[in-house]
Amino acid sequence: MTTLSPVRPEGERPMGFADRLLSLPFVQRSDALRSFILGAWLGWQIESNWADPLLFAVYSFARPIASVMILVVMYSVITDGATQQPIFAYIYLGNALYIIVGGVLGGISWAVIDDREHYRTAKQLYTSPLVGYAYLCGRGAARLLIGAISTIIVTVFGVLLFGIPITIGSIDLPFLIASIMLGLTSLSGLGLIIGAISFQLGRNAWQAGELISGALYLFTGALFPLDILPPVLREIGLIFPATYWLEAMRRALLGTNMIGFPTFAALDNTAIAFILLIMSVGLWVSAAFVYRWSMRQAREKGVIDLETNY
Amino acid sequence: MTAFKTTSPPAAKATGATLFWRTMWARAYPRIVGSLIRERSWLFFETVLPLAATVSYVFVYQAVGAPEEYVGFVVLGGAMTAFWLNILWAMASQLYWDKEGGNLEIYVLSPGPLMAILLGMAVGGFVMTVTRAAIILIVCSLAFSVTYTISSVPLLIAIFVLTMIALYGMGMMFAAVFLASGREAWHLANLLQEPIYLASGFYFPVRALGFWVAAASSLIPLTLGMDGMRQLLFAGDATLGFLSVEVEAIILLILSVFFLAAARFMLTKLEEIGRREGRLIERRR
Amino acid sequence: MSSTPLAIETHDVRRIYKIRGGKRKGEAKTLIALDGVSLEVPRGELFGLLGPNGAGKTTLIKILATLLLPSSGTAKVDGLDVTTQTQEVRRRISMVSGGETSGFGLLTVEENLWMFARFYGLDNKTIKSRLAEMMQMVGIYDRRSTKISDLSTGLRQKMNFIRGFISDPSVVFLDEPTLGLDVTAARDVRGFVKDWMAQNPDRTLLLTTHYMAEADELCDRLAIIDRGKTLICDTPENLKRRLQSETIFHLKIQPLRKPTSPENVVEAVPGVRSVTIADQTDFSELRLSLQGEEALPAVLSHLSGRGSGLLSLEKREPTLEDVFIQLVGRRLDEDTNLNGTGEER
Ligand SMILES: Nc1ncnc2c1ncn2[C@@H]1O[C@H](COP(=O)(O)OP(=O)(O)OP(=O)(O)O)[C@@H](O)[C@H]1O
Ligand SMILES: [Mg+2]
Repeated sequence: MTTLSPVRPEGERPMGFADRLLSLPFVQRSDALRSFILGAWLGWQIESNWADPLLFAVYSFARPIASVMILVVMYSVITDGATQQPIFAYIYLGNALYIIVGGVLGGISWAVIDDREHYRTAKQLYTSPLVGYAYLCGRGAARLLIGAISTIIVTVFGVLLFGIPITIGSIDLPFLIASIMLGLTSLSGLGLIIGAISFQLGRNAWQAGELISGALYLFTGALFPLDILPPVLREIGLIFPATYWLEAMRRALLGTNMIGFPTFAALDNTAIAFILLIMSVGLWVSAAFVYRWSMRQAREKGVIDLETNY
Repeated sequence: MTAFKTTSPPAAKATGATLFWRTMWARAYPRIVGSLIRERSWLFFETVLPLAATVSYVFVYQAVGAPEEYVGFVVLGGAMTAFWLNILWAMASQLYWDKEGGNLEIYVLSPGPLMAILLGMAVGGFVMTVTRAAIILIVCSLAFSVTYTISSVPLLIAIFVLTMIALYGMGMMFAAVFLASGREAWHLANLLQEPIYLASGFYFPVRALGFWVAAASSLIPLTLGMDGMRQLLFAGDATLGFLSVEVEAIILLILSVFFLAAARFMLTKLEEIGRREGRLIERRR
Repeated sequence: MSSTPLAIETHDVRRIYKIRGGKRKGEAKTLIALDGVSLEVPRGELFGLLGPNGAGKTTLIKILATLLLPSSGTAKVDGLDVTTQTQEVRRRISMVSGGETSGFGLLTVEENLWMFARFYGLDNKTIKSRLAEMMQMVGIYDRRSTKISDLSTGLRQKMNFIRGFISDPSVVFLDEPTLGLDVTAARDVRGFVKDWMAQNPDRTLLLTTHYMAEADELCDRLAIIDRGKTLICDTPENLKRRLQSETIFHLKIQPLRKPTSPENVVEAVPGVRSVTIADQTDFSELRLSLQGEEALPAVLSHLSGRGSGLLSLEKREPTLEDVFIQLVGRRLDEDTNLNGTGEER
């Protein structure tokens, strides 16, 4: 027999930055951190597509720009292209930011199904000493990052082409940072819950994230102010963190150029931030429970490594 | 095992159209069972959620104060997304999935034609697709009291049928293209989702894109199909279509023939390349 | 059916793969998987292909089963050219591979089989009766309503077998059909194959396997191939008879010390024809092929000269394995690829 080549060829750092992170002493002591970093690294390898122009074009450009252009055309058909109206900025930004919402809500359930049905690595993953939820959060984080890049592209596109009124002066930086942190924390809590549940679902969960975020369009005021909705449906929107996050982001980015609607008139920035904080805590606590429950169920039913294949 | 005795008559094997028919339904079967009976979550995913997305677009129009008939446009477009998603996800990208699962080899190996297999995939998903389209259409029409004024029922049916033939022909062609491209198929399916919603005018009359863009988009059968149906369903000023319904019907007919022929040609080619190169057909990683 | 008595006929079949994935551009490598294979298998024969990993067995089967084109040469199945008369060939053949994953996990055994049978144009009545019969035969009748995602490897393979035989093919290709099966399941499968051949004397079966005993038990004739070439093709008996002039010993010895010089090896001992050594944890196994028994003492003294004591010694009748070693130069479980055939990666 020939000798096995060394695990890591000399002079090659296959994991680059992640490798350096993994060698940090405090990371080596924590299974969860290690799992998170590995998940994020893997997610980045799978989803990032700088090297591949087609994939980059599809995910970071064509899809997001096309979906915002649908709205631009719809708007222009009716208003003869009056894009300087504040309602246009409202719709446009809502749609741009919603890419992140979709990525975070669907990212984890996507990873679950992807590992299981496509790469067929679920068996190996969940029999290894990785911390499952940390690994999944890592996968989700990679996806979030990629979503954020699209959002930035679409937003810049909007500022340049359609004069969305975001200027240095309109941005409220401290509030923007707070909104991003709190918003993403709460959304990822929800994403983890959806991801945990998708262990129970078959292949239909492929598009779960996409479909759920598609449905939430309706209630979160992404595309139109909640005030348009009949009062009963309006209430539904108020239980989702995305609703507050979108409002917060619009305020932080547009400043006084933001069009106000009665629904949120009573809430100032601090109040919105506070709501997001409460939601973050609540969702993460629930996520921990749901994840545990779902893994138990999945093991009982033997569906951790389900391959439906039909 | 007990000794082998062939008591039953030697297998009579059908050929031609009967073989096509049997193959198609055989491949449809797992889909029908799979989607309708054994995985009930489909109902939720496939109807309630897309319904909500369609409704969102209706509200966008209401938020900017659009005239009545635009609600009808969105509802029709929303319903038609079901067919587009059906060919993308249940047909075009499915050969790739079947390859991954180890089934494609057996399809190729068997005398059953690949086109029948592909059609089977779509047929199997069709119940779901039609249900989805119907729910969007019915619920939204009622919820937003859309009024339809149908100018010609036969023409409407003709346009719909032609659109479907051309569309599914295109789906079969895509299946070959997707598999041959050697990329993971859903990247391509994804690429053809929102951009096509935009280009084909799912949520607004395609005329709004200007003549040349609309003309280019007309290669996608749904573009003219929807434009024609909108003209036949809603009689209002805003309804002025891209081309006249009759012209659209003729173009759809041409597209149908073209796509079916192209699909046949490309699937044959695909199999040939697969056999020559020793990849495409089998699962290798 | 055509008049030729030959069920399988290949003439100088070569198959060259392009190897992708060379990291640097312009590095288009090729790999010769089959290097001029000519075989003739008459109708009614159970023919075996034997060869180490990477020898080209699967490649040959795929060419015959219309999944792959030969790069050159011709191949005929039932008198039909596999390159040009594809559709006709497909009506007459079937293929079952070991470890195959075809089928739909959420359908039952019966449903899956029904589906595959329909691809061959069978009518429902025939399918129904044949299915019941064959499921009983292989012993999965009572599992017919189990979803195949819940089947064990062995049951799954039995199902694959039914898939292969339900269309009543005239030529069947089995690629390592007992891969991953336990002793009983493998025996069942072999029994099924033998019965089928006995009941259908005009049918032909081509089988690849890594198990010598399986090849010996089943095959009327077999070909040993290595690195894309057929080394020999004959009945198992004749193959073994070739070695009759040799004397074969199996020795268990204490581990050998390194030879002091390249000449000081077992092979160099007078009268030794060939030798293979397999190192276990605390002993080594030697397979010796000698010109005659009188050569043995010299070998034993050579061994003790290298610091190894004899643990056991056994004289053996030649087996197919011995034939294989003599022809291929190594044991069946050693990989071709390590000997540098220009393997990918
Ligand atoms: N599609 C392919 N592309 C490139 N090389 C291939 C391909 N298929 C097989 N090979 C190579 O061709 C050679 C013969 O492979 P083949 O699968 O026919 O061997 P085999 O005798 O069936 O081996 P095993 O006993 O391992 O199944 C091997 O070196 C293999 O790596
Ligand atoms: Mg093989």
